[in-house]
Amino acid sequence: MNLAESVKMAVATLAANRLRSSLTMLGMIIGNASVIAMIGIGEGAQKLAAEQFESLGPNVLFVAPGNSEARGTTTDVPKTLVLADAEAIAAQVPSVKDVTPQVVSRQLVTYRNRSTNASILGTNPEFLIVRSFDVAQGRFLSDLDLKRNDRVVTLGAELATRLFGNKNPVGQPVRIKDVSFQVIGVMAAKGSVLGTNYDDYAFAPATTVANRLIGQTSPYGIEVAFISVSAKDAASVDAAQFQITNLLRLRHRITGEDDFTVRSQQDILTLVNTVTSALTIMLAAIAGISLLVGGIGIMNIMLVSVTERTQEIGLRKAIGASQSDILIQFMIEAVILSAAGGAIGTVIGIGGVLLAGAATPLQTTISPVAIALAVSVSGGIGLFFGVVPARQAAKLDPIVALRST
Amino acid sequence: MTYHQPDNPLKTQNSKLKTIPNPVIIRLEEISKIYGSGNTEVRALSEVSLLVKQGEYCAIMGASGSGKSTAMNVIGCLDRPTSGRYYLDGQDVAQMDEQALAHIRNRKIGFVFQQFHLLPQVSALENVMLPMVYASIPLPERRRRATTALQRVGLEHRLHNKPSELSGGQQQRVAIARAIVNQPVLLLADEPTGALDSRTTQEILHIFAELNTSGMTVVMVTHEAEVARCTHRIILFRDGQVVEPYLAPENLSHAIFA
Ligand SMILES: Nc1ncnc2c1ncn2[C@@H]1O[C@H](COP(=O)(O)OP(=O)(O)OP(=O)(O)O)[C@@H](O)[C@H]1O
Ligand SMILES: [Mg+2]
Repeated sequence: MNLAESVKMAVATLAANRLRSSLTMLGMIIGNASVIAMIGIGEGAQKLAAEQFESLGPNVLFVAPGNSEARGTTTDVPKTLVLADAEAIAAQVPSVKDVTPQVVSRQLVTYRNRSTNASILGTNPEFLIVRSFDVAQGRFLSDLDLKRNDRVVTLGAELATRLFGNKNPVGQPVRIKDVSFQVIGVMAAKGSVLGTNYDDYAFAPATTVANRLIGQTSPYGIEVAFISVSAKDAASVDAAQFQITNLLRLRHRITGEDDFTVRSQQDILTLVNTVTSALTIMLAAIAGISLLVGGIGIMNIMLVSVTERTQEIGLRKAIGASQSDILIQFMIEAVILSAAGGAIGTVIGIGGVLLAGAATPLQTTISPVAIALAVSVSGGIGLFFGVVPARQAAKLDPIVALRST
Repeated sequence: MTYHQPDNPLKTQNSKLKTIPNPVIIRLEEISKIYGSGNTEVRALSEVSLLVKQGEYCAIMGASGSGKSTAMNVIGCLDRPTSGRYYLDGQDVAQMDEQALAHIRNRKIGFVFQQFHLLPQVSALENVMLPMVYASIPLPERRRRATTALQRVGLEHRLHNKPSELSGGQQQRVAIARAIVNQPVLLLADEPTGALDSRTTQEILHIFAELNTSGMTVVMVTHEAEVARCTHRIILFRDGQVVEPYLAPENLSHAIFA
């Protein structure tokens, strides 16, 4: 008995019992659709994260206070980075091009009778270059503004519209925490970067923010939330990381654990990738479980089918079917059920991925690996869960089988 | 009791064979079949010995529970005896493994059942083609032979009907076509007319007689004397034993039934 024939026979048998066959396949359909959709969407999320990090600016390093170990043990992040650290990095580290410190304070911003809460980012002129931002109107902060502690502010695009509507904000006065500032410019809209919407920020000199809005809280100088550094080129990122670490250890007189962390964009990207791929794996595992459940469903129905078709099996044996003929027949039925379910599920999964791609900012991918995996796994599941019922059928005693009514 | 022409060659065989005695198709030697064990032990067959030669047309008779079906199942290689030896067409069947037995059932034996046992979801033609599927015969050949077999049982106009669209007699004829399609050496039938009325019974018997005339060895179990009278030899069973291996049909009325 050849394979093509067995397949034809199995298809005929399954087609004769359409409703049951399709219900049996449902488990595999759902399992496969979810595997493919989950992996596709997971990979899309990973891509999105990678893109977001690239939009941070090229060859960027981040210096943050505290370190990951300390962060795990204490709730209070030790503030150890000061503005002077940023200046020292800029002046002394050769592989560094630009350095921009960032101090953040959330404040009430008022223009005439309109007020809103906004995050005030205290920084320096290099912020534009390091973080790849642009100014749409007016100008950004200057070195002189910083030196003089000037009360000037460049508004994010959204914040500007919120406060001024269609009016040109440049030259207008705004009050931030009861301190009067002059608007010197408006940023070009950038959209949110890693969940932070800088369009809703106001940018002021780091010195002004520290002195007028926050007040000095560290004995070492003006505290900063973190320092962004751009390396001279991609090749000098590692060198910059090493040199910054050494410099800060010297400056902070550290002999033991660092009280700061230097991370390259690549480090963060790797970290995020680890998280997103763990997420993808988890999603795939959940989907895999539904495949398993689908397989058990197939086994269950095949067992019922063997019981129902006892007479048929007996007859087939009486006219010359061997145990292996019967075994193959039932195995093929199980594999067809699961593989067809797998194929239909794949189509639905691809549909889901495309839909998610169209409806969300995720750049979803249809992963050929996921498809190959899902279809072969479902075929394998059919084989695996088909064995028990098929063996049961093959082992039936023809007389007992024929006699049963 | 007469021994019905045991050594006579058949009319249908050519003259060359006239001098050669017919080969033995069924040779049962002290076959026993015991179901269960201990107190519940049932001796369905106890040391049955039997010879059936090629071209014979036999009826097995006996009271209910006398072991007729058990014997048929052993002869048809559907069941294995508890003890004893069985040679089918010269081959020692008791020694064979499951695979070889399947092959024997497929090629050497045609089995007809009281309840027809046709596959309900496929046509008459496909039912008849089924044994050839397991014989790995190519599809066109299969279709041709199945059509011929159905013609032989007079169903050439019902090739594409499903069993549910056929009468009982027609279904049994499909079953006979299926049994003979692989040209077996032995046609076995366990109460083939048990579920049929007398007119269709005659049709079926006519087919059996024709098959026998063309050289096929036929053994059938029956309860009906009229059916048994159409055969050439009656084998009487009682309590799992053969009490009369060569009863002539014309002497049937004299035989004592238990
Ligand atoms: N699977 C079995 N398990 C136990 N006992 C069995 C089994 N099959 C048959 N028997 C017993 O073996 C004996 C012979 O049964 P068998 O079916 O051969 O009788 P039979 O002559 O065909 O009867 P009938 O004319 O009613 O068909 C009976 O006593 C029966 O109860
Ligand atoms: Mg019986």
